[in-house]
Amino acid sequence: MSDAPVLVVGAGPAGLGAALALAQAGVPVVLTEQRDAIGGAIHRQPASPQVPKVLRPARHARSFAMLAAGLAAAGGRIDLRTSTVFLGLDGADNALIDDRRRQRVEALSPAGIILATGAVEKVHPFPGWELPGVMTAGGAQVLLKETGRAPDGPVLVAGSGPLLLAVAAQLAAAGNPPVAVLERGRPWRRPTALAAMLASPANVAEGVGYAARLLRHGVPYVTGAAVTAVRTQGDDLDVMVRHGAAERTYRVRHLLVHDGLRAGASTGITETRDGPVPVLLAGDGREILGADAAVADGRRAAAEMLALLGRGAASAGDEQTLGAARRFQAALARLCEAPPPSPPPETLVCRCEGLRVADLDHLRPDASMRELRLVGRFGMGPCQGRFCGASVAALRPDADPSLKASAVPRWPVRPVSLASLAGFGDPAARTNPRIHQDTEDR
Amino acid sequence: MHSRSSPHVVVVGAGIVGAAAAFFLEAAGARVTLVEAEAPAAGATGASDGAVSVASKRPGPMMALALEARAFYRELAARGVLEGLFHPRSTFLLARGDEEASLLERHGADLAAAGERVVARSAVDLRRLLPGLGASVTAGIEVPDDGHAIGYEITARFLARSRPALRRATPVRALKLRGDRVAGVVTAQGEIAADRVIVAAGIGSAVLIGLGDVLVPRKGQMAVTDRAQPSGPAIGGHLMAATYLAAKRGISLDKPHIGLVIDPLVTGQFLIGGSREENRSDRRTDAATIAAILREALDFYPPLAGRRVIRTFAGIRTACRDGLPIVGPHPAVDGLVVATGFEGDGICLGPLMGACAARLALGEAPATDVSVLSPRRFAVREVAQ
Repeated sequence: MSDAPVLVVGAGPAGLGAALALAQAGVPVVLTEQRDAIGGAIHRQPASPQVPKVLRPARHARSFAMLAAGLAAAGGRIDLRTSTVFLGLDGADNALIDDRRRQRVEALSPAGIILATGAVEKVHPFPGWELPGVMTAGGAQVLLKETGRAPDGPVLVAGSGPLLLAVAAQLAAAGNPPVAVLERGRPWRRPTALAAMLASPANVAEGVGYAARLLRHGVPYVTGAAVTAVRTQGDDLDVMVRHGAAERTYRVRHLLVHDGLRAGASTGITETRDGPVPVLLAGDGREILGADAAVADGRRAAAEMLALLGRGAASAGDEQTLGAARRFQAALARLCEAPPPSPPPETLVCRCEGLRVADLDHLRPDASMRELRLVGRFGMGPCQGRFCGASVAALRPDADPSLKASAVPRWPVRPVSLASLAGFGDPAARTNPRIHQDTEDR
Repeated sequence: MHSRSSPHVVVVGAGIVGAAAAFFLEAAGARVTLVEAEAPAAGATGASDGAVSVASKRPGPMMALALEARAFYRELAARGVLEGLFHPRSTFLLARGDEEASLLERHGADLAAAGERVVARSAVDLRRLLPGLGASVTAGIEVPDDGHAIGYEITARFLARSRPALRRATPVRALKLRGDRVAGVVTAQGEIAADRVIVAAGIGSAVLIGLGDVLVPRKGQMAVTDRAQPSGPAIGGHLMAATYLAAKRGISLDKPHIGLVIDPLVTGQFLIGGSREENRSDRRTDAATIAAILREALDFYPPLAGRRVIRTFAGIRTACRDGLPIVGPHPAVDGLVVATGFEGDGICLGPLMGACAARLALGEAPATDVSVLSPRRFAVREVAQ
């Protein structure tokens, strides 16, 4: 067995859980994190000690403290590289990483890769979602954690899912309670889902705490209400909302939107167990199970990786935790289930390329995903479809998925400085010796 | 629209050549079924730069054909068929050092002899026309009458304007013969009867037409940057290293495996290519090759250092062993027309060659003499049936 490290991408709860479990088993780990500190979105740290703490459950702080202590204790077995972005696996099976501090792209030859890059926030498009003043609720939450400051002026929180409650309560605690929280679903009409959630008391207590905070600040929680459009009005936004048969307009400074989380979209890379470099996913990037379960899922992925590498048997110790989290998430999903209004033709779909629903409607009705991308240019910009891909798929449910956007795995999965990439000079000569010799004399 | 007697033509391959053939067949009154293994433009057509360039061609038949093919683009754009998709622009062939400069001098003379407008440019001229050009560029020639077109856009336009029956995800496994005449194609999803068949399936053509090892895959890797500006080409022409020409002309200089082109796209992005990797048909890209291409690109045009690479991809050129495409009636099978082997020139030649293949399939003489490209120059082994 070689001493090649396992590459763990993302130092949030899942990545830390995986890295610690691997290190404990004696396997060297390279842990990359695109930010300059560990924690991920859930444990994003304040930019400075003066930043006031954000309202959050004590168990999150305890969990993070344990992970951080574990990392410190692991010492040299975990090579933590912050400000480092995973670019993907290239055709020579190099794991490419972009060290943004040193402006260098390097290749690793890991024994295996665990991707713990988190989830992507879903936002169903509506006219005006791209306007300044509209941001994702998760993005606003991360900003709040870093700066301690809530967005200024009247704020409306809208969309679907439990994060709306959490963010609204955190805004209230930070001194700017939102005008209202608009939930598209009608959770009160799903008593069985509500009942199922009681099996996870910690989560329920967290939710109740947020609700109590909103109640204290007099923030209305409106269910069955969906944003249909947003328009700029001077420095403000006019947010059009449909609530049953009624229409109403909110004038606010900021609109925070959020429609749940999506797994798998963060890098577009799928799990492979039989390739030369096994790749496993862990945490919310694999399946939305929440921050608590993410640590357990990281350990589960580590155990599976060890088994794949012949260094141990996959343990089932975390299956119970994961099962409970899965049941809770399923109940949550049922609770808030509500289809978004279908977006009118003027709605922006692909922000990078400025493409709208009408542009999609102009493409052949029988076009495959590949043609929607190539001919329609949906997903051809810097995000490469990470954000608009799901919207396009939802708007074109019949597009042949077997003819997907790309024939082979692509890299870079994030934009990379051309100068940094040009400097790549790894002894990857084994794949293309002539090119390597010629480039060395430059 | 079609009379009962109009022939049914199956076109194998919905790349730029197959789509053009379908368009011209329909225009001539034929019924067309376009059978595609994946999706339109899924092969080399959708993974190439957009050079509609005479400047880059080898002297001889390829240069002559490219002149006609480029004129055909202009004609189709003027007729409305390709309106808005053909963008005139200069090609700049760039030399670093005396050896490359003398190669360009020779090439410029060949172009001029073929009737192409050529302007010799000093280093000073070039820096004025192309601000930011690298210090190592010592001389160049400008070919002002070239153009730009995106292969998948051209393909989509031909399909939109003709609407042939399009069968996606339908790989053709063999031809169906009746005696020594083609009677259709055999696909994974069953047989499709046809009066005539055009095979324009790139590297996939080889097995169908019995020209076995005449066609070889030649992989090319490329990178695309983010936008240097909101729209419009960010520099005043298509940049091409003299070493690219050297590779095409079969001359060995010091870096024959990378023929650098910097293609300023109408979106404000750059497409940077490309490698020439013999007998490679996988479509993955590797960091070592991409980095080598980018180093070359930075040497020619240092402002690229400020860009980000957002995508890399590889296309598989279908190269013919003797360096010429294969276009013409099959030597052993009646009713079968072949159009493949365009290597890196498919975008430039595609519409014209598709039109020629369509005429040949209908038993008519094409407007362009393509006899030099006839598959009769090879011995046929066995047709897959």
